[in-house]
This record gives sequence, structure tokens and C-alpha cells, in this order.
Amino acid sequence: MTPRCLLVGHTAPVTCLSRASIIQDNNFIVSSSEAGEMCTWDLVDGKCRESVKLTQVHTNIQAYHMCNSEDLRLFCNGYYAEILIMDPFSLEILFSLSSKMNPDWISALHVLRPSSRKDDVVLAISITGTVKVWSLLGHENKQSEPIYENESKQIRCLNALSLNCCAYNQRTVLIVCAKYCQIYDAGDFSVLCSIQAPSGERWMSGDFLAPDRVLVWSTEGKGYLYKLPANKLRGRAINSSVPDHKGFHGPTVEHDSPVLYGILAHPDNKLLSCPPAMRFILTSVGGKQRRLLLRGDSAGVVLLWNVDDAAMPVPNKVMSRAPIVTTSLEMAWAEMSPSPVGILDQLSHPDEPEIKLTASIYLLAANRLVVGREDGSIIIVNATHTVQLQLLHGNHQQLDDWPPHQLLLGHNGRVNCLLYPHHVHHRYDRAYLVSGGIDFAVCLWDLFSGALLHRFCVHAGEITQLIVPPHNCSPRIQKCICAVASDHSVTLLSLTERKCVTLASRHLFPVVTIKWRPADDFMVVGCSDGTVYVWQMETGHLDRVLNGMIAEEVLAACDETSADELGGSISSGTDLQGLANPAVHFFRGLRHRNLTAMRAATQRGLAALHASERGSNAGPLAEPARARPPPLTIQGFRSNPADPESHILFFDIEGLIVELLSEEYSAMSPASLEAAGLITSEYMKVAALTQSASPDAAKKISGFLSYKIVNKIGVILRTLSWIDFFGRVKDKAGDMERLLKEKDKHGILAKMKEGAENMQTKIQAKADQLKSQLDAKGKWDGR
Amino acid sequence: MNDNEKEEAANLKEEFEWVLREEVHAILHQLHTVLVECAHRFPVPLYGNEGQKQDKFILTSQPEQLKCILTLTGDSITHADISFKVLRQMHLMCRTSINQDGPWKLQQIQDAANHLQQAIGYIDNVDKHYVFRSSEEVLHIIQCLIGSLQRARTALVLPKKKAIDELMKSRNMKALSPNLPEDLAISFYIQSHKLIFVAYQLSSVHGTMRIDSCQADCAVPWLSDVLFMLTAALHMCQQLKDKLCVFSQYKDFTVGSRSASTVFN
Repeated sequence: MTPRCLLVGHTAPVTCLSRASIIQDNNFIVSSSEAGEMCTWDLVDGKCRESVKLTQVHTNIQAYHMCNSEDLRLFCNGYYAEILIMDPFSLEILFSLSSKMNPDWISALHVLRPSSRKDDVVLAISITGTVKVWSLLGHENKQSEPIYENESKQIRCLNALSLNCCAYNQRTVLIVCAKYCQIYDAGDFSVLCSIQAPSGERWMSGDFLAPDRVLVWSTEGKGYLYKLPANKLRGRAINSSVPDHKGFHGPTVEHDSPVLYGILAHPDNKLLSCPPAMRFILTSVGGKQRRLLLRGDSAGVVLLWNVDDAAMPVPNKVMSRAPIVTTSLEMAWAEMSPSPVGILDQLSHPDEPEIKLTASIYLLAANRLVVGREDGSIIIVNATHTVQLQLLHGNHQQLDDWPPHQLLLGHNGRVNCLLYPHHVHHRYDRAYLVSGGIDFAVCLWDLFSGALLHRFCVHAGEITQLIVPPHNCSPRIQKCICAVASDHSVTLLSLTERKCVTLASRHLFPVVTIKWRPADDFMVVGCSDGTVYVWQMETGHLDRVLNGMIAEEVLAACDETSADELGGSISSGTDLQGLANPAVHFFRGLRHRNLTAMRAATQRGLAALHASERGSNAGPLAEPARARPPPLTIQGFRSNPADPESHILFFDIEGLIVELLSEEYSAMSPASLEAAGLITSEYMKVAALTQSASPDAAKKISGFLSYKIVNKIGVILRTLSWIDFFGRVKDKAGDMERLLKEKDKHGILAKMKEGAENMQTKIQAKADQLKSQLDAKGKWDGR
Repeated sequence: MNDNEKEEAANLKEEFEWVLREEVHAILHQLHTVLVECAHRFPVPLYGNEGQKQDKFILTSQPEQLKCILTLTGDSITHADISFKVLRQMHLMCRTSINQDGPWKLQQIQDAANHLQQAIGYIDNVDKHYVFRSSEEVLHIIQCLIGSLQRARTALVLPKKKAIDELMKSRNMKALSPNLPEDLAISFYIQSHKLIFVAYQLSSVHGTMRIDSCQADCAVPWLSDVLFMLTAALHMCQQLKDKLCVFSQYKDFTVGSRSASTVFN
């Protein structure tokens, strides 16, 4: 068992997972989160194929192959009174099942096809204990009349956790509640027998192993195997059962209560922060069916028990079974050889404990990587050098103390966040670097000299976030940065005055969003309970506290005003002056589902775009309007707030090509450029061509570029990616050439080609150089 | 670490153990009391509450645009007499009613009640004599509680927006007697402590659809109590969470991590 991918995308805890494809070894799964987000993931490349946000939040999904359908259908239940049937790939709601009798949330459901019948049956129980049955014919759709249950019955079973029909004897149903689980007769829903949860444990779920055997698992992460008393069960599969057996409805006596005959346990019971997730799975290995119990816990440990081994009861003996597989994420990382590299590995010594990296930013212009660490130190290092050191083999690895780094000491304990305000807006001093730590302090550093310029000690909790206020605030606020702390306080700290301008600290709940209304001098603070606090920035006066709908509207209004200001430049100078940004109107229309408003906004937006295009059609050498993304960016990343940071390196190949090309051309004198016929209208055409090709190309590139050179991915993989990387650069250049050839009708290509070839040889040389390096490394790795 | 720091760390650790041993259970008990009290304000059967209380409300808007006299039984409007003026034909009154056979269910009440019940369930699941051994265990429970309470509160405070055609097709609309003409729709929902009644009128102006609406509301006394108690409970959870987070910077703090001699002297 090896970890394959890390799927990133949900903004809230994931509540349920389900397979999506009908093929057994499928590579698609569906996940659903507490925020109502659903995603379909491709497990081959870890990409999200489809996502949707619903108002309904699911707590459970059963994937089921319905009759009359080629694909699986997802049967979902959750914090709503219906059962939703969804398509796993389009994530559309196909139809829903409603209740006539005591409509309430469905707490568990089971879909099955009874033997000797062609239709599918949905059996469900509501949280108040009403059992309901729907029969599906396969032609249900969204337009059809509400589909109500065919039968329903009230039973004494509140807050059921799972409901399962016996696959071997469809006359019995297992319903699991926290304190007990019960076997019911599917015909009249009378209780046949009941099993209490072991003391100190609660049941989580369970399933049938055989007509008379069940497996139930508990919050302690243990599986319990029970044999059911045969005289209590009914149905054709039970030999001893006759339709009117006396024992059916009799009181449970000692000898015919279920007998525990096996326990699936784990010898080392580490302390967990929450009950583990467990699932009973059927797989077939080499044509042989295997039944497994899978468990994953909060420490990242995965256990697997073979249920079949334990399935045969031994009289008068409780067998305890150990898991057949025990693994954990930690073990998987530890087993990697060579072990994955970290971005600052040169600083750690083998005999000293590792200092965790806790925050990082990449300063693009200076090509510096700033990394905050757990011990309070901040390291500044040349980014390409440190990347080179970790990823490429060569002489530079033999050098001692290379690359040189700068060390900033000032925090007492973990550095939580870093900010380089000049990046966000050029009004800030180029030298300013701001950091926030666990020691409640915000430190202002001189990036070049490494001096600690000031320590702001105004918060009463660890600093969690540093933000830059918008550029159109009052002059005094413009020189401030905004800090958020875990004591729910927000401050505006003036970097030039070296003091706190505003302390906003009346918030009862953690701060989740900060928005701005610069024109009114307001800072709008949204808290986790939905309350909104409006503060005057200059005076530090709490203007008002809002709740509920008004709070939502005020937050939304902040977005609209800021978008208006951005859009102002587009609409200025035309007859559209005075109207707000079309995009805002578009979204407002979308929110209110007003098609006319949306249409009008779109037309206005297009008109404005055309107008601005005409205006900006300046000389042939005008810079392309869109700024290129930098060829290399370094992004800090963590999968768990307690984990140290890993880093993802993003390479923009197209950006690299453009950079090399422009380097090439800038070396040419204007005369040679003109001789090559490049400074003409035709040059513009080529420029336009490369421009128009980019969005689509950029998408393609980002596709394979989003492979992550996280410092935890094996060297081999990285080697492959590098080869892949340069292989594709070559392809890309070829593509570009073909594209130009196709569209070129004025013979400009011939002139261009020289340059392009030049460029190609340059890349080729670089690729070859790298390849030989990698080959050498490959040998060294023994491959 | 010098002696002072060592002593401080030892004291903090002792305090941390006290919080886990005594304070967490005390606060959970207090929370339980508040939430059960909150559950008893709900007019539906919930946590030992018999439920099915009945209330009568009158909703009118000035000037006599619309009027609605309704009976709220549990989470459903079981009876209502509704009349409102059709906007562009001022003299025309539209009348309809809700009766026992087709009650108008306010799903928001059931949702809030279910979330609240789930929250109480999280506390009930903790045995009174259970010894917490780490702050993660407690934080997990508190996080679940905060989630449920927040969802309960949101269900009442922020009504879900529905498209007009969805509303027109809804079961509630179809149960009206007599049925409304195709260009009219009504809706009932809860927003904070208020029950709101809205009448919509669809019209076509130059080929585009236009929706006019007018609304009336009335305060529902038990809703303000429920919202107040939910907020109070949320605040208690947040305070306990903050208290535990103070200790989280000492990662090695778990019960029993101190040597036995320091625990028992």
C-alpha cells in the first residue's frame, strides 16, 4: 500500500467519499465537503474533473448501478429532507426522492435490487426513526412529479448511523445506532435481535458477512464479529427457519442473543484525536473475492484486516485478529530512498534536530526566498541557487556554505507569517520585510542590511496573518500594514511612524475576512460567527456591528465598490461614465438570476473593451498589455496546520521561451532588427499571434507544470520530469513554429526563422547539458 | 531554559491538566444545560420536549397591500387565510388559504432543530467520567459542536435563496387552495427572529420578465430566545477553544507526560 496522490481543493472538512466509475479498478472518486462542495477527481493525475457547490450538504453517498443506466448513480443523503440522486461525472442532480410521511432528514439509506425483481429499491431511515421504501423504475427525471415513498413505518430507532440489507438473505436488515445495533426483519420491521456497544465505545457502522454473521465496528477503531442466533432469523437462506417459528417475536433470552466470536483489533492503541474512519470493502484479487476492513486514523495510520480469515467462528472462543497491513504516511515518507529533499536542507546538520520551516515568501524581483522557521529565525537565500543545490547534481554541491544566506534573529518562537509589502504595492519601501510570530510580535526588518527596524507588540495573541490595505486609503493608512492575531484582534501598524494606528479588538470570534471601504475610511471585519464589525481606520472608532443578512450584504457591497474602482479606468472617457463596472452588474444579475441585467452588462463590458482597445493601439513596439508570469515561482504549501511547510516550484515554460527570445532580440541592434524586417506591422501580427495562442497554451502548460516538485517527491520522479520538461520545451518551440507557418502568408517567417533557430539551438544546448547531467545522476542512482 | 522558565512551564502544564480534567467537563455540562434549554424552546419534538406547540400570527403590510392570518403548529403553517392586492390591478384582491391537509412546512425550523440535536449529541457522547488526555481530543469535539451550532444558527438567520420557478413548482405552492394563477407566487420563510410572508408577481415588460414583490413580517418570540441561546453557546465553545489553544504551543503537553513524582506531590 503506497500513497498515490494528495487531492487539494475543498475549503471545508470532507464528509464523504464514493467511487465514481462502474469499472472495478476505476480511477475516479467523488468527494463531498461540509460546505456543500462536491468534486470528481481523476486519481491518475490528481486533477479535479468536475466540481459543484450545492446548498445541500451530504453526509453519506452510496454509489449504485441502477437498472436502465450505464453509469453509477450517487444516492446522497445529508442535512436535508430528500434523497438526491446525482450523476458522478457531471455532478448534476438527476432527481430526488421526497417523503410524504413525517418528512425529515434521512440518516441512512441502502439501495438494492431484490432478487427476482427488475426494479431498484431504496430503503432509508429518517433521523426520527421512520423507515421508508421507494421503488425506482429507472425512468425518473427532474421534471417528473415528486417521487414519494411507497411505504413507511415508524420504528423505535433514533439517529441511525447506517442501514444495510443482508446481501445473502434479503429478509434481514442491520441498523446501527451509537449505543446498539439491531437486526430487523425486512418484511414488517420487527426487531429480531440487538447488540449493545462495548462499554466506553460507540458503534459506527456495520455490515453482513453471511446470512447469520455480522461485522460491526466501533469508535475505538475495532471490528467485532458476531454470530446471530439462527432461530431468530427468517428467509429462504436460513435452513432452520420456518415462516411461523415460535421464536420470531419472542423476548430475547440468554441463549439466543448474538455471540461474539472475533475481534479485529490493533495491538498498539495510540491516542487519537477523533474516531478513525472505517470501511468494509469487497475487492477481487486474481479472480478471488476478498473482504477487507479498512481503517484510517488521525495520525495518518492505515490498517487493513482480512475479514475472510476471521469469518469462521470457533465455538466458545473469541479470536482476536491483527491487521494484515499496517502502514502510515509517516512510514511511507521514511521509506523513500533517497529521502526527499527540503528547500533549505543545506542548513540542517545530520546530528542536530531538524528545525521546521513554518512560513515562506518568494521575492520575485530580488530572486530571494525568505523562510521563517520554528525557532524564530528567518533565513533569506538566493532562490535559484538553493533550488539548484537541492535538485541538480554538479560541482556546486561540493562547495561549503554555498549559497550564502542571511539570518534574521528577532522572534522568540515560531514565525507564522511573512509579508513583503513592496510586492503588493510600490508605495512601500523596497527594503521593508514584515514578519509575525507566535510571540505576539510583528517585526519590521530591513531586507538589505538585515537589521530589525522595529518590533510592534500590540497584540495579545500569536500573529496569524499580515495583509496590505488597498492603495486608495488615506495617506496615513497607506503606510500601514494590517495584522490579524489569534486573540481576534486586528491592528493597522504604520511602518513609517513605527506605531500602531488602530487597534480593533472587540471581536468575540476569530476573524475570517477583512474588507475595505477606503472612500469611507472603513475597515470591515468579518468574524467566524457571521458578525461584521465596521471600524473607522483613522480614528479607531467602532462604527457599527452587524448581523445576519445585513452583514452578508455589507460584505458583498465591499467587493462591489472595490471592483467599481478597478473598472473605472475602462469606462472612463466614454458615454458609460457614471455607470458601475459591468462585471459587477453581471454578477449582481447572476445572483438575482436576472438574465436581462446579465445581457446588458455583457454588452456594456464588450463595448468598453473595444473602446479601450482602440485607445491603446499605440506604436508597433508597444509592450504587450498582459504581464508575463515569472518563469519561476516558489509556493509554500502544507497539508496540515501542524506540519512544516513544503514547497512547490512552478516553472512557466512559455515565460522562459519569451524571456530567452526577448534576450535574443535585445542583443540585436535596431539596424539589424530593421534589416530583418522585424519592426513593421508584421511584427505586430506575430506578436498578436503569440498573444492569442497563449491562453490556451498556458492552460496546457499549467497542466503538466502543476506536477509538484514538492520537497517530498522522489528524485527519480524529478529526473523524469526534468527530461519531460525539456522535451516539451522543444515540442513547444516546434509547435510555435508550425503555428506561425500556418498563419503566415507574408513570408515573414523566413526572417523570423533565423532567430527562432538560434533560440532552438540555445534551448537544445541547455537541454543536452542538463540531460547529460541527469544521465550522470541516473547512473549514480543505479538506474 | 533557565529555572524561571522551567518553573513557568511546569506551572502551565499543571494548569493544562486541570483544564482537561475539570474545566472541560464543567463547560461541557454548562453547554449541555444551555442547549437543552434552547431545544425546549423549539415548538417541535426535540430532546425530551413534547413539542407541537401552536401559535397564531397576523402579518399585514401598510397600506393594506397584503394580509395573512396564520397558525404555526410545530414547524408547519397548518392554517392560513391569505389575501393580497395584485399590483397592476389595484382593485383586484387575490385570496387563497392553507389548510390542514396541505400544511406549509418551514424547513428552516426542522433544519435548525436537527443541527441543535446533533450538537447535544456530541456532548452526550462524552462520558462524564472520561479522562481527556490531549487537547486535540477536546478541540475535535468543540469543533464539531461549533460546526453544528453555526449551521443551526445559519439555518434560521440566512434563509436559502430559491429560484422563482423552483418556488412555483414546490409542494407548498401546490397545496394552496384555491391554487394561485400562474403569474403569482407566495412564500413564507424565517429570517432571524421574524417570520416573513412575501407575495411575488411576475409580469412581462417588453419581452423581459419582471418580478414585483411585497412583504410583511412579524416577530416570533421563541425564535429570539433560540437565537440568543445558540449565540451564547457558540461563544462558550469559542472561549474554551481559545483557552485550549493557549496551551497548543507546548506540543508535548499531554496528560501523563510529566513524571509521576511531579504529578502526585
